[in-house]
Amino acid sequence: MRRFLHLVAILALIGSALYAYRIKYDTIFLAEQVAKLKNRAAREREAIAVLRAEWQYSAKPDRVQALADRHLPDLQPGAIQQIARWSEIVARPVPVDSIGKKLEALGLGEPTNTPTASRSDARTPTTTGSIGRKP
Amino acid sequence: MTLSRNPIDSQPDDEAPRRGGLRRMVAALSDLFRMRLDKSGHRVFMVAAGFTCIYALIAGRLVQLGLRPDPPTQLRRAAAEVSGIRPDIVDRNGTILATDIKTVSVFAEPRRIIDKDEAVELITAVLPDVNARELREKLGSRKGFVWVKREITPRQQQEVHRLGLPGVGFMPEHKRIYPNGPAAAHVLGSVNLDNVGIAGIEKYIDGQGLADLTMAGFARQSTDLKPIQLSIDLKVQHALRDEIAKGIEKYKAKAGAGMILDVTTGEVVALASLPDFDPNNPADALDPNRINRMAVGVFEMGSTFKALTVAMALDSGKININSTLDARNALRYGRFKIGDYHGTHRVLTVPEVFVHSSNIGTARMALTVGVPGHQAFLRKMGQLDRMRTELPESSEPIVPQRWGELNTMTIAFGHGLAVAPMQAVAAVGALVNGGMMMNPTFLRRTPEEALAKATRVIKPETSEALRYIMRLNAERGSASKAAVPGYFVGGKTGTAEKVIGGRYSKTRLFTTFMAIAPSDRPKYLFLTIYDEPQGLPETFGYATAAWNAGTTTGRVIERVAPLLGLPPRFEPPQLPFPVMARMGAWGTR
Repeated sequence: MRRFLHLVAILALIGSALYAYRIKYDTIFLAEQVAKLKNRAAREREAIAVLRAEWQYSAKPDRVQALADRHLPDLQPGAIQQIARWSEIVARPVPVDSIGKKLEALGLGEPTNTPTASRSDARTPTTTGSIGRKP
Repeated sequence: MTLSRNPIDSQPDDEAPRRGGLRRMVAALSDLFRMRLDKSGHRVFMVAAGFTCIYALIAGRLVQLGLRPDPPTQLRRAAAEVSGIRPDIVDRNGTILATDIKTVSVFAEPRRIIDKDEAVELITAVLPDVNARELREKLGSRKGFVWVKREITPRQQQEVHRLGLPGVGFMPEHKRIYPNGPAAAHVLGSVNLDNVGIAGIEKYIDGQGLADLTMAGFARQSTDLKPIQLSIDLKVQHALRDEIAKGIEKYKAKAGAGMILDVTTGEVVALASLPDFDPNNPADALDPNRINRMAVGVFEMGSTFKALTVAMALDSGKININSTLDARNALRYGRFKIGDYHGTHRVLTVPEVFVHSSNIGTARMALTVGVPGHQAFLRKMGQLDRMRTELPESSEPIVPQRWGELNTMTIAFGHGLAVAPMQAVAAVGALVNGGMMMNPTFLRRTPEEALAKATRVIKPETSEALRYIMRLNAERGSASKAAVPGYFVGGKTGTAEKVIGGRYSKTRLFTTFMAIAPSDRPKYLFLTIYDEPQGLPETFGYATAAWNAGTTTGRVIERVAPLLGLPPRFEPPQLPFPVMARMGAWGTR
């Protein structure tokens, strides 16, 4: 009985030692991962800082103005004359269906029967040929 | 039994004491090495205690070593010399004005370099702009750490790395960059090679305890620090600088400056002073011609100072808006004579004095208040003391040493007292915002925070009168060039003659223009100054303020009002100045 207990104790010792070692190596591995990720995050942050600085450098007002002067020579600063009051805007006229009125005047206002297609391919063509393609 | 007696006992008695001592020693020694169990108990205990002590000591030391962070090596020594991290500076909309990026610097540890001459030769081959002799001296020193070159390119780093020199290494460093170039240079200031602020807001940030934080090791990366938000609006700042630059070129002025102040909060929305510099190259800032003319230069502000005089006279109660002042003849004082530039030669009301910019009228107003009252008012408006803002650069106003009645008369129309233009802006801001004097700030601030620190300097009615006469001046006076339709602008011109060789020069002028928008409830105050502008054919040869500073201010207002979110109005507001209308002031009927 006593011998058995000794055996159990020794096995338990070996087992716990192995477990402890595994935990230790896992910890080291994870710590390395954390350090790596932290490094990567720091590198990304630096890259973001550089990109932000570069973006601001490209979007700086001096440069934007120079580009606008070169490429948008017809634009001018907004002035009050270009702004209209709400009350000055002419109300949109009631839409007039002039074609419908003509048809009505001709007495064709009534709905007509749609002729049924006799053949399945007798449809209006939906594609058009290319006309006078430029070389 | 007798045979078993110890032979020592049979020794003669005269030697007994000496022998007794020896015997006791021998007995003690033989006792120590006796293997009898009954006597060895305490010895085992002592040995066990000894070992326990030793092991406890070792264990304690191990725990102590384990708890201590990694021992400092060469990196720590270098870190003390590496430039510190700084917070980003952003404008009021969050656009970056200054930020840090990482660069690499080369350092050397002279003690670890084997062949110093070879090292110098190889390094100077790769980094041609390193001075070989200086480098040899540095490497020959007994220092543990020296810089070879700061802020090298990645390509140079690669080349130095390929040399494979022992004792030469790289250190990542923070470099401050200002992506917008010279925009807002005078506000931002600059930093030196070690990322320590040497001017402007950068220096202010260091003064706020950043240096201590970095030293204590709390600030390691930029995310540790909150960005500093300024009151500057980058787009407005650029527009202001651009217009002033165009103006300097057009009017062939020596220098120019401009400023936009939010009068409800005291925030400086834009501040430009030309010629300026690029903060990425701080050496340019040392040129005395590139000073911040708004805060560091002191000038006689000319007629814009009349606003202060009128406000003082009205607020004192000795004069009201309907009082009349005699401007028929030049005002004589001893051998001096004060005349008007735009002479009217009649009796003027207070608004007329302002609109015609009458020196005689304002001088008379100041005289009714008297010298002590004038001094007290100007002191209250902060015109006699150095103004302190976040910017470390500032100047003391030049106040006459003996201040008599003549001084009061000339100061009334802006000659004889030189102040920083920013000071005058702060005072006029208080005159038009309802009478609350606020110290200008370059950091963001809400109107509530500003009001909490503000002091009342004039009555609200006086403030209304000032807004009224400034608006009147834009409608029918000299400020019409800046009266951009839709923004209900008010303004005042000021043309001061510069003192050249102790005399006022007629040809060298310092022109100023102040404008408020909108006049009924001012939100922004604009100031433009030009140093020695020239007359042009299209200005009919005039070089006075209305023709240059006034025109520029008009263009600035037109350009920045939409950026600042000032809504244009089609009709002038109904009854903008109720008190003035009730009193029937000149110009309301």
